Amino acid sequence: MRMRLWLLLGSLVVTGVLVGFFVTRFLNPVPPTIVATSTSQVTNGKPVVNITLTTVAAVGNDGEGKGEHPNWVGYLPTTYLHVPAGSIVHMTINQQDGSSGLRNPYFALVRGTVGNDMTVNGKVMQAIDPGNPGPGHTFTIPDLGVSVPLVGVADDAPAGATNVVTFDFVVPNQPGLYRWQCFVPCAAGTLYGNGGPMQTLGYMAGELQVG
Amino acid sequence: MRNRASALRAVFVTWLILAIAGDVGLALSPMPPGEASTLASDESFTMKLLALMAWPVFSAVLAALFCTFVVNRMAPPTAEVSAAELRGNNRIQTTWIAVTLVVVLSIAVYGTVALAMDQPGGGVSTVSAALPQPADASQPLEVQVIAQQWWFTYRYPTYGGIETAQLVLPVGQKIEFHITSLDVTHSFWFYALGVKADAVPLNDNVVTATPTQIGTYRVQCAELCGLWHGNMADSTAMVVSTSDFTAWVQQQTTADAPVMKYLEPYSHTYLEPPAIYGG
Repeated sequence: MRMRLWLLLGSLVVTGVLVGFFVTRFLNPVPPTIVATSTSQVTNGKPVVNITLTTVAAVGNDGEGKGEHPNWVGYLPTTYLHVPAGSIVHMTINQQDGSSGLRNPYFALVRGTVGNDMTVNGKVMQAIDPGNPGPGHTFTIPDLGVSVPLVGVADDAPAGATNVVTFDFVVPNQPGLYRWQCFVPCAAGTLYGNGGPMQTLGYMAGELQVG
Repeated sequence: MRNRASALRAVFVTWLILAIAGDVGLALSPMPPGEASTLASDESFTMKLLALMAWPVFSAVLAALFCTFVVNRMAPPTAEVSAAELRGNNRIQTTWIAVTLVVVLSIAVYGTVALAMDQPGGGVSTVSAALPQPADASQPLEVQVIAQQWWFTYRYPTYGGIETAQLVLPVGQKIEFHITSLDVTHSFWFYALGVKADAVPLNDNVVTATPTQIGTYRVQCAELCGLWHGNMADSTAMVVSTSDFTAWVQQQTTADAPVMKYLEPYSHTYLEPPAIYGG
């Protein structure tokens, strides 16, 4: 009888530990994060760091993201970014996805970057024409006031065609966690394009860890 | 019998002191949402009025419970006395009915009058969507709130239909918020101004408020709307002086210049997007 009681208690403890482990893992995921690469450049006393992302129409099994949804649009290699506090982030986004169209044309405006502009294949721009060909995605950090439309590649562009978008933005001196997202309803096959990858971290939504 | 009468008297006196002290405390306390706009002040006054009326009733219920659970055990009534206390006691019954009637009818009359005086009434716009409206302090300033997953943007038809990612309002001018959504249902909540209204696609929801205090405030979405609902908030909304507002409008007009030709013509609602979007 006593043996059974001990077995029962032991089973409960083991079950509790396992449940606790999985709940903790679920609540505190450890996603793949890219850390900004340092440069020797300093502007206005702030270090400049680099981050490079690539947008693709589908993550794909061979993509670095190796997401659970290979047929979703996404940012590669991950949407979890880590940059030093008080730095200037030099972003390079290789836009390989086509245009989807903006729900709100206001997001065709470049905001919150150094100079309020960006370069698209080397050309300086402050806004894009949302209808010609229009953005495939935006890179927007609402709480930092940063929003950059990413011009989509032409529908008949060859595979691998890329629009290289670059811009700089300044992050606060204090550590913090900021969400970022795409404001183009780009989730093909979902109602109004707002489902799936638009609602899932790791695809069209991510986090920027400062500091 | 004497013990019971003394206990009931003590409970009554205690209730009276609690009711008066509580109402004095409530009358002196600030009530949400505050005094940052005329609308918020009206809401605060209503909250205070209801609290002042509710507290004596609530404390009376507590006193009655105390009598039931404590006094009745310490000094139990005899069956005859208990019946005599209520049955056929016209004074108690008349007082009970009169107090209840006064409380309920007062609230009903107050609520009816407040609704009848509400401006502009029932979420109906007093201005047309035609552009532009004069930037006259005597006229309500129309500000459109556009919700989308997951941010609010704002359009100012009076000033050429500029759109901004930050809400800035002039102090002392009646604001007519026109609230709509581009995707799912959101709710625009400007707590300090007492403004909270659903943002529904293809609908124009109208709320008016006159900001009376310069400051920085928080706006947020109050309708569960998806992944970043919890982050659909902005603590940089501002109420500023008229001159600062004018300067801000000029600054935003300059900032918006590259995108103005791409913005949709100002409208109280915007067309439904194609159901199959994205790609």
